[in-house]
Amino acid sequence: MPGGHIELKDLCKKFGDVVAINHIDLSIAPGEFFSLLGPSGCGKTTTLRLIAGFEDATSGQILLDGVDLAHTHPHKRPVNTVFQAYMIFPHLNVYENVAFGLRRQHVSRSDIRHRVGDALELVQLQQLAHRKPSQLSGGQQQRVALARALILHPAVLLLDEPLGALDAKLRRQLQVELKALQQRVGITFVYVTHDQEEALTMSDRIAVMSHGIVEQVGTPREVYDEPTTEFVADFLGISNMISADAQPDGSGGCRLQVGEFTLMAKVGATNSRGTVKCVVRPERVKLEPYDSSGGNRVPGIVEHLVYLGSATRVVVHLATGQTLQSLIQSDGVHLPYEQGTAVQVYLPPDAVRVLRPVGQAVAAAGSGANDEPEAGEPSEVRAASGQAIEGSMQ
Amino acid sequence: MSVTHASSSTTGGTTFSPPSGGLRVRLRRLRWSRYGLVAIVAAYLTWSLVPVLTAFLFSFNSGYSRSIWQGFSLRWWTGPASVFTDPTYYDAIRHSFLLAVLAVLITVPLGVSLSIFLSRWRGVTSKPAAFLSTVPLVVPELVLALAMFFLVTRLLHFVPLGTTAQVAGQVTFILPLVIVITRGRLASIPIGFEEAAMDLGASPMHAFRLALIPLLQPAIVASAIVAFAVSIDDFVITQYMSSTAATQSVPMLIYTATRGTATPSLNAMATVMAVTTVVVTGLGYILYRFVARSEQIPTIAREEVPAVPVLGEGAA
Repeated sequence: MPGGHIELKDLCKKFGDVVAINHIDLSIAPGEFFSLLGPSGCGKTTTLRLIAGFEDATSGQILLDGVDLAHTHPHKRPVNTVFQAYMIFPHLNVYENVAFGLRRQHVSRSDIRHRVGDALELVQLQQLAHRKPSQLSGGQQQRVALARALILHPAVLLLDEPLGALDAKLRRQLQVELKALQQRVGITFVYVTHDQEEALTMSDRIAVMSHGIVEQVGTPREVYDEPTTEFVADFLGISNMISADAQPDGSGGCRLQVGEFTLMAKVGATNSRGTVKCVVRPERVKLEPYDSSGGNRVPGIVEHLVYLGSATRVVVHLATGQTLQSLIQSDGVHLPYEQGTAVQVYLPPDAVRVLRPVGQAVAAAGSGANDEPEAGEPSEVRAASGQAIEGSMQ
Repeated sequence: MSVTHASSSTTGGTTFSPPSGGLRVRLRRLRWSRYGLVAIVAAYLTWSLVPVLTAFLFSFNSGYSRSIWQGFSLRWWTGPASVFTDPTYYDAIRHSFLLAVLAVLITVPLGVSLSIFLSRWRGVTSKPAAFLSTVPLVVPELVLALAMFFLVTRLLHFVPLGTTAQVAGQVTFILPLVIVITRGRLASIPIGFEEAAMDLGASPMHAFRLALIPLLQPAIVASAIVAFAVSIDDFVITQYMSSTAATQSVPMLIYTATRGTATPSLNAMATVMAVTTVVVTGLGYILYRFVARSEQIPTIAREEVPAVPVLGEGAA
């Protein structure tokens, strides 16, 4: 079914004095697997509930294929939802749960039987049609919720952390299945998650949200490799954050003054001037022998090594006083580093990304809260939020 | 069981293990406290059941006395002026059951609707309204009865004393019980079920009927049992709202009869009432168990999603 183009225009939602959605604009293409990614409280679920119609927007528009949904009740909207806790009716069996929506449309009995059969086959639950929800595992309940929503052929399917309640192994398996299913049915999926791995592996595009605003929209590769804001760089994966004084060099690059060292940056907001933040992914940080020379090199001392199996994380204390992480893939060669080894840290110019100064990211209110709290410190390593994912990211 | 309890407490700390004497003392203490509990329960059951059994027994007395045993007879069950032949007795039984059935039929649908409204309505006045709806629970019944009597005789002339006023009075103080029971269950049902029903194309009314009411069934059955039992038992309001002898309920009859010349027929009637009430509530309980078992909300649905996200929480 073609269609399923969603546009959010200057959408705003307040709960009392609390701004949950702060004037966001998004356009989601028909048939796209689109994720809303962010920490809890960033407004992603509220955005989904606004599209579903469970909340009314304070201002702004939600357009579905050009039609404003503002005055359409939830039960009349051509969108369906897979809820976080599934919300499968416990008093109905699997068959009746899946048939629920069709019965509301007064579809004939034989058509219902036919379509429910097809839907259960789609999610491989034919054998369990007469089970009660309490007799199903979490993964099976998730499939019922999916079949129940997909059977109505919605223009858009909204999924609110549908894999959140499952264990890690099942979650990986269902990620693959869900993506394959989406490609088969060709319906627009709007997928809410706080799990970056989920968002990166499944999505066509991701909107990274924080504090009710959209920080960045892009393909998984774009938001991971080319973060434009500090929040995105910090939220996705592990990032080395460096504070520096920027000076455009006039040829598309940027000279960064970090303490007594000068670095060249070739990517990101290289026309910035003044105090900026830069990000370097640990896998792009190269360690070289102490006697090597050249630009973009800073001497340092290995602080400690963490063996991760497929890679080794080396934490280096730089001469500038800050600490950087380097991720070195295991290739069978024993690493010539140990605690206290003096090294040269090479930061390739095309790996040093200059982030847009805070405040220019989004002109909206609230961004002031992102201001650097530790202005005295030249830089710091921000790793906390990325730790959970690192195994799969390498 | 006591052993596993004791050992589990020792596994917590690896550096410290309590002396074996401590375990033995604890076991002994546990046994004594168990005997104590059994004794208390047995005493309570005896205390509460003996009068009932005595009343039941004296309905088979061959004499007129309700306190001196004069031999076994069925005269107060089958003879003249017995419970099934004297219209005073069986009219009272019939009237009591009529009031109870009417009270259930009115309070349960009304109470369930009100509690759905009170719990799903997020207005400014919803909390005071929910509080006020339970006020009749704490007002002494006699005060409520006097007020109702004044209201019915002085202001609401279209409500005649008798069955109508009795039902109105009983509904007034049984309704809060139904509301309290149903709201307790409603609080444990996430609003997501109604949202899911609406998401799948059910109108708000249909969502209530198809998603909420089935989940509320255990509370509905429970409140019906309570309403029935409370109505059957009620004396004060039923007495104040009564008119002629035709509107005499069983508690009223017992109260009047014990002040006059009561025969063991009264005991027989009380037995009939007790047995019927136990059978009805027993059937209700079986129905409740049946309904409650099939309406188990799956564990996964218990993690309720906060409707209002908290800003800033968990942000980097």
